[in-house]
Amino acid sequence: MLTADFPWLTTIILFPIAASFLIPLIPDKEGKTVRWYALVVGLLDFALIVYAFYTQYDFANPDLQLVESYAWVPQLDLNWSVGADGLSMPLIILTGFITTLAILAAWPVTLKPKLFYFLMLVMFGGQIAVFAVQDMLLFFLSWELELVPIYFLLSIWGGKKRLYAATKFILYTAGGSLFILVAALAMAFYGGEVTFDFRSLAAKDYPLIFQLWIYTAFLIAYAVKLPIIPLHTWLPDAHGEATAPVHMLLAGILLKMGGYALIRMNAEMLPAAHATVAPALVVLGVVNIIYAALTSFAQRNLKRKIAYSSISHMGFVLIGIASFTDLGLSGAVLQMVSHGLIGASLFFLVGATYDRTHTLMLDEMGGVGKQMPKIFSMFTACSLASLAMPGMSGFVAELMVFVGFATSDAYSLTFRVIIVCLAAIGVVLTPIYLLSMLREIFYGPENKELTSHEVLVDAEPREVFIIASLLIPIIGIGFYPKLLTQIYDAKTIQLTARLRGQVPTLALQQNQKPVAMQPFSESVQAPEIR
Amino acid sequence: MEPIYQYAWLIPVLPLAGAMIVGLGLVSFNKDTNRLRQANSILIVSLLGAAMTFSFALFWSQLQGHEPYTRLFEWASAGDFHLSMGYVVDPLASLMLVIVTTVAFLVMIYTDGYMAHDPGYVRFYAYLSLFSSSMLGLVISPNLVQVYIFWELVGMCSYLLIGFWFNRKAAADACQKAFVTNRVGDFGLLLGILGLYWATRSFDFEVVATRLQDLVASGAIPGALAALFAILVFLGPVAKSAQFPLHVWLPDAMEGPTPISALIHAATMVAAGVFLIARMFPMFEAIPSAMTVISWTGAFTAFLGASIAITQNDIKKGLAYSTMSQLGYMVMAMGVGAYSAGLFHLMTHAFFKAMLFLGSGSVIHGMESAVGHDAAYAQDMRMMGGLRKYMPLTAFTFLVGTLAISGIPPFAGFWSKDEILGATFAANPVLWIIGYLTAGITAFYMFRMYFMTFEGKFRGNDTAVKQTIRNEQLQSMGLAFGPGAMDPRELTIEPTHEEESAYGEDHSSHDPHESPLSMTLPLLILAVPSTLIGLVGTPFHNYFEAFIHAPGETVQLAAEAGQETLSEFYVMAGSSVGISLIGISIAILMYLQQKIDPSAIAAKIPFFYRLSKNKWYIDEIYDELFVKGSRRLARQVLEVDSKVVDGVVNLAGLATLLTGEGLKYLENGRAQFYALIIFVAVLGLVIFSGVT
Repeated sequence: MLTADFPWLTTIILFPIAASFLIPLIPDKEGKTVRWYALVVGLLDFALIVYAFYTQYDFANPDLQLVESYAWVPQLDLNWSVGADGLSMPLIILTGFITTLAILAAWPVTLKPKLFYFLMLVMFGGQIAVFAVQDMLLFFLSWELELVPIYFLLSIWGGKKRLYAATKFILYTAGGSLFILVAALAMAFYGGEVTFDFRSLAAKDYPLIFQLWIYTAFLIAYAVKLPIIPLHTWLPDAHGEATAPVHMLLAGILLKMGGYALIRMNAEMLPAAHATVAPALVVLGVVNIIYAALTSFAQRNLKRKIAYSSISHMGFVLIGIASFTDLGLSGAVLQMVSHGLIGASLFFLVGATYDRTHTLMLDEMGGVGKQMPKIFSMFTACSLASLAMPGMSGFVAELMVFVGFATSDAYSLTFRVIIVCLAAIGVVLTPIYLLSMLREIFYGPENKELTSHEVLVDAEPREVFIIASLLIPIIGIGFYPKLLTQIYDAKTIQLTARLRGQVPTLALQQNQKPVAMQPFSESVQAPEIR
Repeated sequence: MEPIYQYAWLIPVLPLAGAMIVGLGLVSFNKDTNRLRQANSILIVSLLGAAMTFSFALFWSQLQGHEPYTRLFEWASAGDFHLSMGYVVDPLASLMLVIVTTVAFLVMIYTDGYMAHDPGYVRFYAYLSLFSSSMLGLVISPNLVQVYIFWELVGMCSYLLIGFWFNRKAAADACQKAFVTNRVGDFGLLLGILGLYWATRSFDFEVVATRLQDLVASGAIPGALAALFAILVFLGPVAKSAQFPLHVWLPDAMEGPTPISALIHAATMVAAGVFLIARMFPMFEAIPSAMTVISWTGAFTAFLGASIAITQNDIKKGLAYSTMSQLGYMVMAMGVGAYSAGLFHLMTHAFFKAMLFLGSGSVIHGMESAVGHDAAYAQDMRMMGGLRKYMPLTAFTFLVGTLAISGIPPFAGFWSKDEILGATFAANPVLWIIGYLTAGITAFYMFRMYFMTFEGKFRGNDTAVKQTIRNEQLQSMGLAFGPGAMDPRELTIEPTHEEESAYGEDHSSHDPHESPLSMTLPLLILAVPSTLIGLVGTPFHNYFEAFIHAPGETVQLAAEAGQETLSEFYVMAGSSVGISLIGISIAILMYLQQKIDPSAIAAKIPFFYRLSKNKWYIDEIYDELFVKGSRRLARQVLEVDSKVVDGVVNLAGLATLLTGEGLKYLENGRAQFYALIIFVAVLGLVIFSGVT
C-alpha cells in the first residue's frame, strides 16, 4: 500500500497541521490531554519521517528524491512541489526530532495549553515545509508561515520583555523576507520563461551582475536568520525572553533555515556570485565566531550567553559553505545538525535551571551543583559538547570545516592562514565562556541567598530523558561521524563539484600574480592512508 | 601471537566499558549505585586489571621482537578526503601501555582507602576509569587526529577530576584554569596539525615526517614554515606537560584529590606531551631550530620548577613543581635528540613520582586526623614533622622516592637523569650546566621536603604555626591574586570548607596515623620499580635503549662503543652524584640539624626569596594580561553590541515603524494582530505580484 507513489513529504508536512486543527475540539481545560495528543502526533510524524527516508530514500543518490508536484494555482504558476535531497533530508529529520522533544519539554506549560500546542504543531509542519519545498513562492510562503506561530509563542509565553522581543523578531525576519520575495520574483521573471521551480531556476543562466544583486538580497534575508553579525540583535532578545521549548525550536531549527537557504539558493542557484562573494562570507564567519564568543563571555544573563554562543557556532557554517571543498561543505551541514542538537539541549537545560532558581543572572547563582547533581552533570556534558569536545558531534563538524578550509585551493595561502588562526582563537574562547558559566552556576560554595528561598530539586526523569535523547546522537556522531555524513555526502560532493566549476575563473585571476605556493605537488603524493 | 594484537583495542575499551556501566548506574539509579560502593570499584579495578594483563602480554611480545602492528578503519570521509582511526602497537606504545595500566591499577587500589569516606567515591572511580581509557587510547593512536582527540579527552577528564570537589572555590578555579590553559596549547597543536596536513596531505606520523623532509629538501616549502608548524605542534606538549610558559595550571591542579595528582598530574597525562614529541620525533629531528626551542624550553622549565619548589610549604605544590621540573628534563632530552633517555626518564619518573604523590596523600590522610580536614593545614609541611614515627611505611617509601628523584645510585632516577645529562653535555654544555645545577637543587628541595615532613618533632598542635598559615591564607585571598582568579567577585573572604573543618575539629587531638593497607600496599609495590627499574638502562648494558630507540636509528651500546664512553660515564655520574650530595648536605644542615637558619638566608636575598615564593610572579602577570585583559575586551565588545549595533536597529525601528500610534498599539497587547497584518500584507503582495 505504502509505495513510492505515496505522497510522503506532503503527508509529513500536512499531518501535524491538520492534527492541530482538531485541538480545539478536544474537551480539556487543563491541558493534560492536549499535551499527550500533541506528543503522539509529533512522535507519529517523526516516525513517518524516519520510515519514509529509510524505505524510499536512496542515500547514494545526490538528486532530489521523494518528489511530488501538483499544480496549485496554475494562474500564478504556483505549484505544490516538494522533495528532499542530501541538504534537506538531515534537516527534516532534525526538525522532526527536535520539535517532538520540544513538545515533551513543554510539559509544564499551563498557560493557554490548547493554543500553545496548536502553535507547536503548526510549527512542526511549517518548519518541515521550509526544508522540503522546491518552489520559490512556496518557500517564501512557508518561510512566512513559520514566523507567525513563533511570534505568538514568543509574545504570549515569554519573559517580561517578550513583546519587545517578539516585535523585534518579526520585524527583522519579515523585513528580511521581503528581500527573498523581491529576489525570487526577479529570478522567476528573468529570461522569458516564468518559473518558480528550484531546479528550473538553478538551470537558468544569469549574468554575473544580476547574480550578485540577487545574491545580496538573499544574503540579507538569510543573514538575519542564521544570524550573521551585524544583523543578529533580534536573537539575544528573542532568546532572552523565550521559554525553553520555544528556545529549542529557535536554536535547534530556525537558525538552520538560514544556513540551509544560504546553501540552497545562494550557493546552488547562483554559483558564480557565490564564487565572488565567498571570501566575504568567510570573513563574516570569523567575525561571528570571535565577536559572538567575546560578547557571550561578557554576558551576565544565562540565556543571552547561550544565545551568543549559538551565533558564534554558526560562524563555522559560513566558513564551511564558502570553503569550496567536500570536507568544508560537509562540515557545514554537520555543524548545522550538530548545533541543532547541542543548542537545543543547552537551551533546554537553561530552562530547567531557570525553573528552579528563578533567575537568569549568573551573579545570583553559585554552588547549586550539590543540590542538583543530575542537572549539573547534564549541563557539563552539553557544555563540553558545545565547546567541541572530541567524541561529540561539534568537534567533528568544526574539525571538518577547519581541515576543509585549510586545504581549500580557492583561496590564497595568506588568507587561509589568517582565517584559520582567527577561527582557532574561537576554539580557545569557547571554553572560557562556557566553563566560567558552569563554574558560576554550579561550582563553589553554595549561594545562601539563593538556596534560602528557592527549592532546588534535581532533574526529573522526563528531563533526563530529553537530554539523553539529544546526547545519544551527539555522542554517536562524535564517535563515528560517517553515521551521519554518509547519508548526505553524495549531495555535498555533487554541489561542491558544481561550485568548484566556478572557481577556475577565480583561480585564473590568481595565477596572473606570482604562482601561489603549491607545496604538495603530485610527485610527492603517496597513496592516501586508509 | 596475532590474536592478542587483533584484540588490542580492548585495552582502552575495557575501562571505558567500566566507566560507562558505572556512569549509567549513577545517572539512572543514583542512590543504589552509590550504596554499592565497592561493587563498583571492584568492577572497575578488575576491568583495568584485565587491560593491564593484556598490556603486559603485548609488551612481552614486543620485547620478543614482534613486528609493530597497525589496524585502521575509515572514520570520516568526504569526497576524496579519508580519515582513519585505529591503533598501533609498537615498542613505544606497548611501553606506555604498561606504564599507564600499572600506575592506574595501583592508584585505583589506593583510591579505595583514600576516598573511603568521600560521598563521591563511585563517581571518582567512574572518572578514573574514563581517564584511563582516554589515556590508553592516546598512547596507541596511529595518527595526529586521533592523538588530538584523546589529547582533549584526557584534558576533559583532568578538568572533571581537578574540579571533583566542586564546592571548593579553589578547585573550581583550578579546573577551569587547567582546561583553558590546555586549550591554548591545543590551539597551537590544532594549527600545527592543520599546517602539516596542508603541506603533506597526511596525518600519519611517519608520512608527515618523510614528506615534510622531502618538501623542505626540494624547496617546495621554506624551512622556516616547517619549523613554524613543528613549533605549533610543540605548543600542545608545552601545555600538557606543563612547560614554561603554559605551566601555570599544574600546581593549581593539586586541588584535585591526591590519587589523581599521582595518576594524571605526575605519572601519565602530563607525560603525554613527552610521548607526543617522541611520536613526532622523526619530524622534529629534521628541524634543528625546533629542536633548539624544545631543548631550551625544557631546560628553562626544569630550572624554573626547581627554583620554585625550594620555597613551597604545601607538600603537594612542592611535588607539583618538582614534576614540572622533571618534565622539563624529559623535554630537554627530546630536544637534544636523546630520544630513549627522555622516555627512560619518563618511565622511571612515572613510578617514583606516582609513589611520592601517593605518599604525600598518605601523609595528608594521616594529618587529617590530627589537624582536621582543612587542606590548608593538612597539606602544609610546617604543620608536619616527625611523621616517621607515626607512619613508618609511608616514610620509608617516601625516602626511596626522594633518593630516586635526587639521583642517588642505584635508585631509578639516577640512571635516567644521568643519561639525559650525559646526552645534554654532548649536545650543548650550557644546557648541561642548567640541568646539572637543577639536579643539585632537586636533591636539596626533595630532602627539605622529606625532613620537614618525617623528621624532627611533630608540629601539628603548634598554634603559632597554625596562625601564620591562617594569616597567609587570608592575605592571599584579600589580594585576590588567587591563581586562576577568573572573576572579580572573588574579593570576598569566605571561610572555605566550613563543613569539613566542622567535623574535622573534633579529630584535632588525635595523633597522625599510618594509612590502611589499601594505601600502603601500592606504595610498597611502587617502591620496587622506583629502586630497581633503572637497572634496565645502565650504560653497561642498556636493555631499554635496545628496546626503545628513535625510528630509523641504530643503537650503539655504550659497552660496545668501548672504554672511552664508560670512563666518560664515570666522570659524568660522579659529578652529578656529587652535586646531589651537596644539595642533600645543605638540606641536612638546614632542616635536620638546624645548623643553618633558612629564614636568615631568605632575609639576606629577599629578591630571590620572594621571586621563588611567588612563583616568579607569573600568575600575577597572566592575571593582569590575559584574564583581566580578555574580560575587559569582552565587556567592550558587548558594550558595542548593545549600544551601537543594537542601538542603530532600535533607532531605525523607532523612527519608522514604532512611532506614534503603532507603539501604543503594540503595548496594548494587540501585537498579535499587528503581526497578522504584516503576514496578510505580504501574502497580498505575493498574489498581486504573481498576477501581474
